[in-house]
Amino acid sequence: MSSLRPFEERYATALADPDVRGGLTAFQRGWRDSRDAAIADLEQQEGRSFDELRAELAAIKDGVLADWEHHLDTFTANAQAAGAEVVRVATPGEANALITERMQRAGADLLVKGKSMVSEEIGLNAHLEAAGISPVETDLGEWILQLAEETPSHLVMPAIHKRRHAVAALFERVLDRPFPPDDIDRMVKVARTELRERFLASSVGLSGANALIAEGGAIMLVCNEGNNRMSVALPKLHVVTAGIEKLVPTYADAMRQVRLLARSATGQPITVYTNFLTGPRPGQEQLIVLLDNGRTAMAEDPDVAAALRCIRCGACADVCPPYGIVGGHAFGHVYTGAIGLVNTSFHHGIEAAAGPQSLCVSCGACATVCPVNIPLPVQILEVRETVARSGEAGNAGRVTRSALRAFQHPRLVDVGLRVAGVVTTPLRRDGVTALPAALTSRGPLAARVGWRTPPAVPTRPARDTLRPRRLEEPPRLAKQPLAGRKVQLFLQCLSDRLAPDIPIAAAKLLRAAGAQVTVPREQHCCGLPAYDSGEQDTARDMVRQTMAALSDGADVVTPASSCLAMLAHDAPHLLRGDIAEVERAQELAGRTYDLISYLTSGPGRLPPGSLDDGDRTPVTVHRFCQASNTLGRGEAIEAFLRDVAGAPVVPLPEAGECCGFGGSTSVRNPELSAGILDRKLGCVDRTDASILITDNPGCILHLRGGVHASGREVEVLHLAEYLVRRLPGATSTPQER
Amino acid sequence: MSPAGAQTDAGPGDRQRIRLRARVEAAASTYHELAGWDDVAAHAAGLADRVALAPSLHAAQPGLATRLEARGCTVVIPGDEDPAADVADVPVAIVAGELAVSETGGVLVAEHALADRVVTMLCQRLVQVVAADAVVERLEDVAVWLAERNGQAGFASLMTGPSRTADIERSLTIGVQGPDEVDVLVLTGADAVTEEPTS
Repeated sequence: MSSLRPFEERYATALADPDVRGGLTAFQRGWRDSRDAAIADLEQQEGRSFDELRAELAAIKDGVLADWEHHLDTFTANAQAAGAEVVRVATPGEANALITERMQRAGADLLVKGKSMVSEEIGLNAHLEAAGISPVETDLGEWILQLAEETPSHLVMPAIHKRRHAVAALFERVLDRPFPPDDIDRMVKVARTELRERFLASSVGLSGANALIAEGGAIMLVCNEGNNRMSVALPKLHVVTAGIEKLVPTYADAMRQVRLLARSATGQPITVYTNFLTGPRPGQEQLIVLLDNGRTAMAEDPDVAAALRCIRCGACADVCPPYGIVGGHAFGHVYTGAIGLVNTSFHHGIEAAAGPQSLCVSCGACATVCPVNIPLPVQILEVRETVARSGEAGNAGRVTRSALRAFQHPRLVDVGLRVAGVVTTPLRRDGVTALPAALTSRGPLAARVGWRTPPAVPTRPARDTLRPRRLEEPPRLAKQPLAGRKVQLFLQCLSDRLAPDIPIAAAKLLRAAGAQVTVPREQHCCGLPAYDSGEQDTARDMVRQTMAALSDGADVVTPASSCLAMLAHDAPHLLRGDIAEVERAQELAGRTYDLISYLTSGPGRLPPGSLDDGDRTPVTVHRFCQASNTLGRGEAIEAFLRDVAGAPVVPLPEAGECCGFGGSTSVRNPELSAGILDRKLGCVDRTDASILITDNPGCILHLRGGVHASGREVEVLHLAEYLVRRLPGATSTPQER
Repeated sequence: MSPAGAQTDAGPGDRQRIRLRARVEAAASTYHELAGWDDVAAHAAGLADRVALAPSLHAAQPGLATRLEARGCTVVIPGDEDPAADVADVPVAIVAGELAVSETGGVLVAEHALADRVVTMLCQRLVQVVAADAVVERLEDVAVWLAERNGQAGFASLMTGPSRTADIERSLTIGVQGPDEVDVLVLTGADAVTEEPTS
């Protein structure tokens, strides 16, 4: 059930509105600073880490789910004892009918509303209006949107997609008097005056609930503006709408939620008002409507049950790169941000969840800030698989499935790319396929390649060059930590075929450190592209094929951190139906490294200065997002470059944020990917560095294409490519540029 | 008035109040330590000549209204008929806090009755008065206070600073549907809780 416009229409509208991207970029940066400072302050205050604090809150919420009926019954009994009426409803239709009937019985034609996402979820306003009742939003952001006839684009900051000039213009149109765009204070004051009359006139008020406290039968309700307090106090009937997942057992548990909620939502230590309501005030009735609407089904699905921990802070949107480009009207449904990609299918149906799925770049940032530690990236991929199976992904989904099934066959891929390499040889320039300007500047291809020049397609993959005795012996380092050690090089399918210099450089580096490098011929793809596309059966097959190819027990090193994330983090999850397969995946994960971890914390640890050739050209580092967010890597590359290679490293702003490659996202939603890339390259510009280093081949091809298309003078290198140049007596001899 | 500034030999209570002051001021409220209710009256009278009292406070401290009137203030005590109209946009209102939390700078106000609640909602400047021995360290102390009242209907609000919004471009604006300014007064004298004879 939803009256929202089709996803494609919302996506196009968001892209066409420069205010959305401009406003959200500023918002995300400001939020990040405030939130990080607030969390750091909390960690110091509590003497515990954010991870420990959120694990504690997650355990409280999980404990409720484990004994849900008991806590619901306890809450209900205690709330009723305090004078409230508690009604559990299964569907939005039941909730709307109940609230409408109570309002009609009270003879009310006006409802003042505090912020309530459940009321958005059930579409209450439209239902009331159809019954001749006027709902008035009293949260400033919600009121602005009601005047604009829009829906919230964020769980906490509903109108954050609107800039001040748009709000001023809206107020001028609706209130028929001038509003200077920079006088936000006046806009707020006018809203106060306008809404004050409604508060005093309404006999029914509605609020949501931030928590349902079972031991007291109490509602916890937080707000900054004070509107919620008025909505619940002044009217003679107070209606509460809440999802049944909002339960916490005790007041002490609620306080643990308080500590994390405002810090995660707005970067405040606490909201201005943290209210605890137990029953109605004297002379008032209170109706508490507890909504299921798919929540029980979520609880019964182990892959998504943890999403019911959500405390609606919105942090998952605040760090989300695609959200920062298109906002919540496209990235999500009624519930926006990463959590919306998970719970929408349960609350509003799979068709509502399908479109926004394609926007997630799987960067994993959402999971790092979630105050209840919901494994959102994994859950999103589970929903994505459901979407893929349902057929709701449409033609794009069918094309993706066919392409991935073809990609499963190494021989087919091999022949196809060799042929493509020959055909495109005349266009090969400096690692890219330089298409004619007529194709990149206009016409249907412009949106696909105008902002990112495609990579060159070599005629010879890396595996050819890396056959035994084909690669010239590299110079050896003075100290060889890997002397005599066997290393299997996992090339990564992308770099093997499209960026062979990367695995070749990695092989040279490992040999220089003394390793006996082998390249198992049976290796192909770890399965990540299929997994990211929701094609889990295909992904499982590719994981199994990779495990078989790398089964000889030696160390596995890959120049692609994305493959490490897949093999170490995602493969055991994908294979969870078979414990023996999980154990095999874990065994492989235990001996698999990406290059940087092998050279810093693994067996190949290089001593300080061992790759210092005296070159002091400043470099900057893009941290591959999944390495930061999924593998937990910090500034390992920067430290290594400084300490081992002697390179001056200029910190890159937003270094760990996604570059926009995002697997299939950059193919299916090129406008979105281009926006994220533009933000990343803008940060690179601020460093003035002429060399950009990272360690994931997908990022490198994407960044190189963006640099080339934009005419920037920045060299984008894989860590291995940069380091191999610093080997004693090394010369830079790319294979095919 | 004396500041709760740095004291080299501060005891646990002093340290709590030093921390409370820092948090209160960080929340954009003002913090004051006063000896007793005479000082409260003087503080409020110095802000405006029309002052509302929460009925529950008036019941507990009937002499406060007299003290305010003696300083030239018109005292408003909302009735049950139309309490919102009685106190709408009153310049200053005074309420008593049950607890003040040094962890957050918040003051817990119990205000079950509408006549109490409208005072804190509709005034322009809110004066919150709390006894020094009601300054507690952590939010869990609030949880204990609330849990002790399990089984009773009630409304308690932990208020931390003046009302605010950042809904337009995340630009902070103070004063929306609640007070624009908040003063936290901590009573340190012997008469902090007990009503003084008003003669």
